[in-house]
Amino acid sequence: MWLEVSLEFIFLLSIFLPFLTAIFLFLNKKLFNELMTNFFTLNAALLSFAIAAYSFVALALNKFNGVNIELFQWISNPDISIGFTLDGLSGIMLILVTGLSFVIQLFSTSYMEKDENYSNYFIYFNFFVFSMLLLVMSSNFLVMFFGWELVGLSSYLLISFWSKKPAAAKAGNKAFVINRVGDFGFLIGLMIILDNFNTFDFYTILNNTNEVSENTITLISLFLLLGAFGKSAQFPLFSWLPDAMEGPTPASALIHAATMVTAGVFMLVRISPLLQHSNLASLLITVFGLITALLAAFSAINQYDIKKVLAYSTISQLGFMFIAIGAGAYVAAIFHLVTHAFFKALLFLGAGAVIHSMHHEQDIRKMGGLRKQMPITASMMGVGTLAISGIPPLAGFWSKDEILASVFANGGIYYIFWALTLGAAFLTAFYMGRHWLLIFEKDNGFEHSDINEAPKAMTRPLLLLGIFSIFIGFINTPFFHGLEKVLHVNLEYVEVTHLPEGITLIVLAVLSIGAGFTGLIIAFLFFGIELHKRIDLQKFKLEYPIKLIKDLSFNVLYLNKFGNLFFVSGMKNLTRKVAVVVDGILIDGSVNFVSTAFNTTSKITSTTQTGMVRNYVVYFGLFLLLLIVLFIATPMLQS
Amino acid sequence: MTRRKEIAMLEVTTDWYLSLAAILFTIGFLGMMIRKNALIMFMCIELMLNAVNLTFISASKHFGQIEGQVFVFFVLVVAAAEVVVGLAIIVSIFRKQSSASVDVLNVARG
Amino acid sequence: MFEAFLFFAPASLIILGALIVIFAKNPVHNAMGLVMTLVSLAIIYITLNATFVAMVQMLVYAGAVMTLFLFVIMMIGVDKKEQTTDSIKGQTFLVSGVFLILISLLVYVAVSSDFKWDLWFPPVEYDVEGTPQLIAGTLFTAWIFPFEIISILLIVATAAAIALAYDTKKRNSNA
Repeated sequence: MWLEVSLEFIFLLSIFLPFLTAIFLFLNKKLFNELMTNFFTLNAALLSFAIAAYSFVALALNKFNGVNIELFQWISNPDISIGFTLDGLSGIMLILVTGLSFVIQLFSTSYMEKDENYSNYFIYFNFFVFSMLLLVMSSNFLVMFFGWELVGLSSYLLISFWSKKPAAAKAGNKAFVINRVGDFGFLIGLMIILDNFNTFDFYTILNNTNEVSENTITLISLFLLLGAFGKSAQFPLFSWLPDAMEGPTPASALIHAATMVTAGVFMLVRISPLLQHSNLASLLITVFGLITALLAAFSAINQYDIKKVLAYSTISQLGFMFIAIGAGAYVAAIFHLVTHAFFKALLFLGAGAVIHSMHHEQDIRKMGGLRKQMPITASMMGVGTLAISGIPPLAGFWSKDEILASVFANGGIYYIFWALTLGAAFLTAFYMGRHWLLIFEKDNGFEHSDINEAPKAMTRPLLLLGIFSIFIGFINTPFFHGLEKVLHVNLEYVEVTHLPEGITLIVLAVLSIGAGFTGLIIAFLFFGIELHKRIDLQKFKLEYPIKLIKDLSFNVLYLNKFGNLFFVSGMKNLTRKVAVVVDGILIDGSVNFVSTAFNTTSKITSTTQTGMVRNYVVYFGLFLLLLIVLFIATPMLQS
Repeated sequence: MTRRKEIAMLEVTTDWYLSLAAILFTIGFLGMMIRKNALIMFMCIELMLNAVNLTFISASKHFGQIEGQVFVFFVLVVAAAEVVVGLAIIVSIFRKQSSASVDVLNVARG
Repeated sequence: MFEAFLFFAPASLIILGALIVIFAKNPVHNAMGLVMTLVSLAIIYITLNATFVAMVQMLVYAGAVMTLFLFVIMMIGVDKKEQTTDSIKGQTFLVSGVFLILISLLVYVAVSSDFKWDLWFPPVEYDVEGTPQLIAGTLFTAWIFPFEIISILLIVATAAAIALAYDTKKRNSNA
């Protein structure tokens, strides 16, 4: 009996192990050198991953029927308790987060070498992993909200890790503030949920969706959606993610590519039984996902910062996941989340290796031709690029193709969405091709003879992730629906959009492969063999449009400037006015009025205090008379 | 019956006692106003307190309840305490300015 | 008839004593007027069946309190002249107002009760003897908490009187 219970509890260990590690490292900050820190944090991460894998296997043997653990009940009515759950969805995330956490920490030991806050980095990192696990393993919205806020905090700490750089400190603030907008929506959503369902528990809520009117569900979904938009950097709230690249690159790889930004997607899949009751919410998710995917892909085509390209690429890929959710293809969304986590982590770590070798130079115009100096990094980045472009049989192809096919399968207006999504996929291939070519192939006339391949602690994680990026796609192909089986409990009450059959599927697959190839080929034409320099562009009068596109892309359609003008400056002016009018005149005025009023009245009344006892007797007599008059008058008035 | 006889047969009702208490209280209050000697003012306070005691006791008789007389004890004790403290104050003031007139004491004016 | 005499004789003495208290020039005369009032009041209490209260009135007021008054009068001297002429603001108005109300009240009571003086409180027959037994039975059961508080008040008053009247300056210079 005891053994069974402990088996159920064992996955809790993998959640709290990173937290304990963080505390342990914090307490021994002064004591440990880098080697000791590495030893503890890596072993803890490995142990955590082992437990996660063990739990996942146990879960698989249990046919993916979820395990709920309620640690304790906080309030009995409404039912609020602290609990965790291990089911297909959280199991995947558990394995993903712990696994990537280990790989990326391994990379970090080399990348962060000789940093003055070395142990702080790992404390924050472990703390982030703990928060993320809290988020994904929660069995109710409250614990999820705790995790949700804590990942925001640890993300803030890691973005502004080099806080001596003003840009880093500013970027951390920006991420935090923009996330606050989303969290605000999330919190309101939670309040409406508690009001309507009287509990936070996922399963109780999701099994009782029929008891609540559709309008309420739409309202809940929209507010939760706002939270997801903030955390997952979707269209109105996306501008923090490119700025967040000021943080250490491995942290970006874990937080801003693989895990935290996918929290929104994870949450939406978690509440998928709610979403399917609300057509409006689904449509909004698709539209905003599409806008994000296109906008971010467009913005990525003319960025020069090695990490910013990847940041916009992440936003764009997250847009794909949102499109999948909006189209009802929840399995595809999670599938893309998993594959994306691997190849985007790979790309980020590759970028980190390049940055490390280039002595913290991030401008890709100053790179070029690095392929000969860094063959392993170059090839692994190549794998990542091919994967994200959707070239079979790499991971990205399977998931992206599934998304495209699901969108197509919905029919109606979704045909247009499908076409636009395909366009975004094409843009993805194009900018990723450009990215790789500019770094590793094109000769930009810089001397790179002193550049060496990254150390082994960096290349090994790259190789590992590269292998995964190639093969992870096979967990859920049209021939083997592995992921669908894992998630069957979560999506029991959900109508998942099914893929089209037969020839349609093949045509769609060919089209999506075609988009990927075309994008890569055009990128090769422009940046590989530099076609535009060989032929006379004047003939086609394309100079101005290309310049315009470059300009708009680099400035993200001037959205940031618009936002800055409208929200930041506008708010500043408004608050200044408010400060003058409300604070200066209204509040100060009323406070001053009160004090002067008291002063005046007390001066007036103090004249009656003559200090003469007999005067007081006179007052006493006056009020005595008044009292007598009252006593006589009252019965007379009443009768 | 003639009026004279009615007056001769006069029964002493509660109203008589209350009227007496009212007169006593008024006299005490007038004394408070026209006298300046702190000592006399204290005596006037005693008069007023006794007027109140009289109303208590006549009410006790009228309603047939003993509580009125119990209250008289409380008033008595408060009066005693007040006289003790008041006279002590008068003595200490007199030591300072050798006068018991209250008009001199206006240091507490606002 | 005897009952009426037992009321009117002390009542007139009470009013006379009170008038002496407020009008006499010599403080000793004032004190004597007060004694007269208090003793007459005790007689009235006896007619009201409050015998124990009457006894206490004699002992505490006419005995202890008046002794205290006389003691203080002797201490601060009786030969100080006091001017009573100057009036303060509103005093005349108040005096006349109080008198007016008092007189109109008495006249109203007398007239509207047809000179029977039973306008508000018609005569009733209750027989409550204010014996010590009865008073103690009430005081030490229902009113025990106020009683204890009042004892604290007395102790505080005693301590305050000592603190006030104790002449520290003289004492220190003597020592």
